[in-house]
Amino acid sequence: MRYAYFPGCSLSASASDYDLSLRAVCRALDIELVEVRDWVCCGASSAHATSHLLSIAMPVLSLGHAEADGFDQLIAPCLACQARLKIANREMREDQDVREKIHGAFDYKYRGTVRVHHPLEVMVEEGVMDKIRSRVRHKLSGLRVACYYGCVLTRPPEVAQFDICENPQSMDTIMRSLGAESLDWSYKTECCGVSMTLTRSDIVLKLSNDIFRAAKEAGANTIAVCCPLCQANLDTRQAQIEKKYQVVHGIPILYFTQLMGLAFGASSEELGLKKLVISPRGVLEMCGLM
Amino acid sequence: MRVELTQDRDTLAKRLQRITGENPMLCYQCKKCTLGCPSAYAMKMKPHEVMRAIQLGLEDQLYWSGTIWICLSCETCNTRCPQDINILKLIDGLRTSSFKTKYDNPVPELPMMHQLFLKLVRRFGRIYELGLVLILNLKMLTPLKDIDMGLPMFLRGRLKIFPHTSGGARELREVMSRLEAIEEET
Repeated sequence: MRYAYFPGCSLSASASDYDLSLRAVCRALDIELVEVRDWVCCGASSAHATSHLLSIAMPVLSLGHAEADGFDQLIAPCLACQARLKIANREMREDQDVREKIHGAFDYKYRGTVRVHHPLEVMVEEGVMDKIRSRVRHKLSGLRVACYYGCVLTRPPEVAQFDICENPQSMDTIMRSLGAESLDWSYKTECCGVSMTLTRSDIVLKLSNDIFRAAKEAGANTIAVCCPLCQANLDTRQAQIEKKYQVVHGIPILYFTQLMGLAFGASSEELGLKKLVISPRGVLEMCGLM
Repeated sequence: MRVELTQDRDTLAKRLQRITGENPMLCYQCKKCTLGCPSAYAMKMKPHEVMRAIQLGLEDQLYWSGTIWICLSCETCNTRCPQDINILKLIDGLRTSSFKTKYDNPVPELPMMHQLFLKLVRRFGRIYELGLVLILNLKMLTPLKDIDMGLPMFLRGRLKIFPHTSGGARELREVMSRLEAIEEET
């Protein structure tokens, strides 16, 4: 399968390990990713807090490039990007007033034919799941994973159109197929607070600490994530959280694609594991993966 | 305080409904939004109180509370509202309107961050992460904020020193200017 690929700003800078591992896993699964020509930022939370029209126009610019280049399916690995792209598609389809105004601002008139997916959506399709099972070289036995889906992968359901809203299963299904144990816990879709990470870090530290506490109570030794923003919060702020709340967490935060890559036998370099602030070495050695 | 409820006046609720398409008058104060809200604990005015304040037209009190900026945009309230009100859209409507008035904002760093973010995106077409952090820290008068977190990121090559300009930056600038003209007309 051939997909337009919208990496988003984080994956082209601070989350290059997500980009590396996603590309490696897609290669192994015969999923071809073609980067969207001259894509621009999705606008994230700053655009929709400032101007509704701008929050639609920014995704439409990149979607328009993908459409003009002949793509009808697009993969966006960041939760914020995929949500903003999906919302833009929906508004362009359903709101005539918005559509006319947006068309008025562009030379190319986006027709709304590009379907947006988070990579998890593509990977849990039956054919791809079969391939995942057949690619596993090293079972991730001993890994007790809390799958953390973050805020807007399944919310709101009419926009996301994916998985079970309050208790998603897609990442758990993939983790089990790799031989890892996936845990039931109640913080799968609680917000980590990232939209305030640069401004009100106190809120972020509390919300992220709550997530760690819940994951540990469930018995997790690893948290799997599917968003560069969640990863940045839980990984790079973990030391601050431990200091503020006088606790020791020491839980490595890996992208689900890094765990897939490890099970497929990819090297640590190919998966960018050195970029992680909380080293996964201890946990991976315990599972015989390093 | 005197609160006037009239049919024919252009109320805050009507104005927000016009710009967001959501009807705030449908709220009957079940409080599900507040119970599920991850940042409600940090809000002076809780989400269900925001809904009531919109119904009563208490625009100044809404802005003074800072709640519209403490909201994390996580969409939990929208998902759980039994009246299917998209509360985030209403909050976005208030945020957008708040840029046009002067008010005493208890969390000025939030709108400051959004404006800086869009300024950088307008320049480069993408976000320049390190630039955003450094300029924002200076503006908030906390230049060394999160330095303990920056160093390990830098050592692992997760901080790009220089911005990358997207090939679509010029097109985005044009679109942004045209949108501003369209918004001015309406």
